[in-house]
Amino acid sequence: MSDYTKLTRFQAESILFRDFKIRTFYDTQWEAISRILNGERVLLIEKTGFGKSLCFQFPAIMFDGLTVIFSPLIALMRDQVNKLQALGITAKCINSNQTEDENNAIINEAKLNKLKILYIAPERQENSIWLEEVRNMKLSMVVVDEAHCISVWGHDFRPAYRRIINLVNLLPKSMPVIATTATATKRVEQDVAQQITGELKILRGNLVRSNFELYVIDVNSDDEKLIWLGENINKLSGTGIVYTGTIVNTEIISKWFEYLGISSRGYNGRLDSETRIEIEKGLIANKWKCVISTNALGMGIDKPDIRFIIHTQFPQSPVHYYQEIGRAGRDGKPTVIILLYNPQDRSLPEAFIEGAKPSIPKYHKIIEALKSEMLGEKELMKISNLRQTQFRVIKADLMDQGIIREIQIGKSKKYEFVPNSKPFDPALFEEVKKAKTAELESMIGYAESNDSRMKYLCTYLGDSLDYEYRNCDNTGLAKHFVSVTEDWVLKLNDFHETYFPILEVETKNSKIVNGVAASYYGASNVGSAIHRCKYENGGDFPDFLISLLLKAYRKRYGNERYDLILYIPPTVSGDLVRNLANKISGILKIPISHSIQKSRITKEQKVFENRYGKTDNVSNAFSITDTKLIVGKKVLLIDDIFDSGATIKEVGKYLTDHGAISIAPLVLAKTVGGDNV
Amino acid sequence: MEQNAAYWITIAHIPKWNYAKINNLIKDIYIDNKSTIEDFFMLKADDWRERFKLNETDIESLINVKEQIPNNAFLAESLSNQGFEIIPIISPEYSKTLKENLKLTYSPPVLYVKGNKLLLQESSTAVVGSRAASEVSITFTDNIAKAASKDYKVIVSGFAKGVDKAALDSAIKHKGHSIIVLPQGILTFGSGFKKYYKQVIEGDVLVLSTFHPKVPWKPELAMARNPIIYGLAQNIYVAQSSEKGGTWSGVKDGLRKGRLIYVRNPEIGENVANDLLIKLGAKPVDMHGNEIVNAEDVDSIHHNQSESPNIDQQIQNVIQMKPYTAKEICAKIKCVWSTRKMADYLKQLAYIEVVKVGNSNKYCLKGQEGEQQTLNFD
Repeated sequence: MSDYTKLTRFQAESILFRDFKIRTFYDTQWEAISRILNGERVLLIEKTGFGKSLCFQFPAIMFDGLTVIFSPLIALMRDQVNKLQALGITAKCINSNQTEDENNAIINEAKLNKLKILYIAPERQENSIWLEEVRNMKLSMVVVDEAHCISVWGHDFRPAYRRIINLVNLLPKSMPVIATTATATKRVEQDVAQQITGELKILRGNLVRSNFELYVIDVNSDDEKLIWLGENINKLSGTGIVYTGTIVNTEIISKWFEYLGISSRGYNGRLDSETRIEIEKGLIANKWKCVISTNALGMGIDKPDIRFIIHTQFPQSPVHYYQEIGRAGRDGKPTVIILLYNPQDRSLPEAFIEGAKPSIPKYHKIIEALKSEMLGEKELMKISNLRQTQFRVIKADLMDQGIIREIQIGKSKKYEFVPNSKPFDPALFEEVKKAKTAELESMIGYAESNDSRMKYLCTYLGDSLDYEYRNCDNTGLAKHFVSVTEDWVLKLNDFHETYFPILEVETKNSKIVNGVAASYYGASNVGSAIHRCKYENGGDFPDFLISLLLKAYRKRYGNERYDLILYIPPTVSGDLVRNLANKISGILKIPISHSIQKSRITKEQKVFENRYGKTDNVSNAFSITDTKLIVGKKVLLIDDIFDSGATIKEVGKYLTDHGAISIAPLVLAKTVGGDNV
Repeated sequence: MEQNAAYWITIAHIPKWNYAKINNLIKDIYIDNKSTIEDFFMLKADDWRERFKLNETDIESLINVKEQIPNNAFLAESLSNQGFEIIPIISPEYSKTLKENLKLTYSPPVLYVKGNKLLLQESSTAVVGSRAASEVSITFTDNIAKAASKDYKVIVSGFAKGVDKAALDSAIKHKGHSIIVLPQGILTFGSGFKKYYKQVIEGDVLVLSTFHPKVPWKPELAMARNPIIYGLAQNIYVAQSSEKGGTWSGVKDGLRKGRLIYVRNPEIGENVANDLLIKLGAKPVDMHGNEIVNAEDVDSIHHNQSESPNIDQQIQNVIQMKPYTAKEICAKIKCVWSTRKMADYLKQLAYIEVVKVGNSNKYCLKGQEGEQQTLNFD
């Protein structure tokens, strides 16, 4: 290894200009870089736009070997790699969106020392091919990007980062390591510093974003949010992002914008990678007024000119908020930051905090299962009847407490119990829960504050800068309000009555088609009306639901002719669905048959928390008394609530097998993950 | 996980360095220089030359492997994450028995283990033997493992078919403890960990390997693994050995290193090489592992066994059909006696009659001669 310690700043800056087309370093950048070149370990806390990446990219091109950068977001990796490649620097990334062949080719290049920089996700450390191949790479430096993910006290703790810490601590002390983040409170900073053993130099900059204009606009309902957005979004200059709390809301808002003729796209983490890339690119190219997204979008997207960010739901903490708005205005030009604040919205982040942890017996179920057998994820989910998200929380917690661990058996991942491990301790969660509740209160404090909003955020994040903040609606900028005019109310009602969720149920070996629901369960008054009828003896479904259902029917199936109405026989709620189907049959003048029966007793689908359980529960559970009835028929299939779709699909398959030529589902409401029916 | 795991993986597998050479360097670092492996690798080549008296070839190999340390950190992390541990020879957790038996010359610098590593500190017994073990060998193995388990001794075995598996299974059956010594890297033992999952997590089994964690099974490794089994055990019992193969060379190696090795005294007529090992210096034991103290005992046991209804019955069964020579009888009942010994033995049996056929003596049951002859002419 050459001796880089003798490199002067002057010499370094001439290399900087040659290779990066940048003339000078900031002082903090140079301090970080010279320490790294000297083989030291650095934790760098600097705001978005500061140029943290340069602090490891510059040393990376100086070193003989490869720099491995652990980074949690594929979008970020892609952006950085494109930028570096454009400068002629040999950088690549390995990620799960690329094919195995592509990834293997890149691993090969790294082994041949043809790369200077390799971005990988922390989860890659669980991949056996990677672990096998990394042994043959010449390594010069390890970078931990978004290092706040190391800490459970951070806003985005990721279990995979635990392994990265273990790795860093096993590396020879002479190997330079840099951890970077834009958002670390003092507590997170200390936690990270404590976890990375050995000498760690902490470099912390200030977090003020003086080009931000911060507003909080009070609203009383989701409808008011839609009205404010409809009325104002086109008045904002440039393009931006509208953040929502749930995926469904991204859909509702983008449909609303579509209805109003506002150009926008919806984005969420569940979209396929091709679509995500297309939307990210479109955002960078200002193709639409805005992208409506969950917080899956933005972190690390290299767009300097995001001109506005609007939150329709407040995040869990000021750190989350700072992180999410931090993606805007990196070019330093004026940028509008708006929070649409409804105090009642606290129930969503509260549910996140409360529901962040599954109930304690569920943890013990997993532990007990693993005490007698080594099991995979699928087997454990089936045994414990847990949703995947819940299972993964439990898994991560138990791994974190050292009670179970993940092992590789051949090509599959299994879990095993750790002998002599300490008993499971839920008290640790209480502590985290308390901390998170306090953070949520601080977020609400931000919305309700009468003082400088920027100062509020910076102080919360551990800044102690003395600074005159004049960039929010409490410190000189105008206050904004929502104005609910009759015109907008009419538009909104019209929208609600013309927009119906699609039920995606089509499969290869079934004649079932994608169906339609009158509404989302959680939206407006639909869910509560259904709940009243189903569980509180509220009588038949009210007429407004039936007329909404007919509208949905006409919109989706308007020109189709159906021969027969069938409906799903209930598990608990009596004749509600039968009566509903009768009414629909009468209005549409389509004959009805009551012949679908349960051939065995099933449980209510809602008691099953995962797809495996739901599918098993209804598998072969339905039959029809007179199958001749459906041969060659086009069937309209009615039910009240569409949850996982397992029941509708099962019946669709049964009807297909017995000769129906088309099955069209029509339901009152579609649930959204987490809806408590 | 051992904090310096990446260093230990690196030093344990320096190409072309044998255990003695690696261990001597470790001794130089820790004892003579009161240093650590981490500090050693921070040093410059000049320091290695002067303080450690290393020659240029050695320095070159060390410079080469030094570059592997960061890479081995990735491996170490993966091992640690899956519950494997690395025990270097300087660790108090390293088996004292192993170190005592194999000394610095043959002790592996690093043990890769998973399971209850306290088993490395307990009294231990190895039962070894052929993959194609006879029923009597399996019974012997079960006896030894059962007795050892009762005495809270750990059974050390090599996870091969036959005797090794029998030793492990009976230790488990008798609620004893076992160390499985792998003929492969510990990361390639997935199916085994699945099979012995309960035993491993309940602390009854320790799986141990001395090879690079990723290296798959190879015949050479099976051979190289045998001395580790002998080394880990305070008592060694051989159930069955043929005149070549792993057990044979393993026991010979053990005897050469001056180990006390017990060999099951074979039954008369057993086609095994246990006798030969006894001749080479191994101690004969009976079916329950009790040592047969002197030559007379051996003889008397032989004698007793030879007079046992068992062998007589076998002889009777054979010659019932027709007369045979002594040599033929040996072959038929798979007896290892010399032809002369068999002839002498046959002659002193009251119910045997000798018949001359051509130039050779044949033996048949008294009074059945005529009948036999007739059959013979058929």
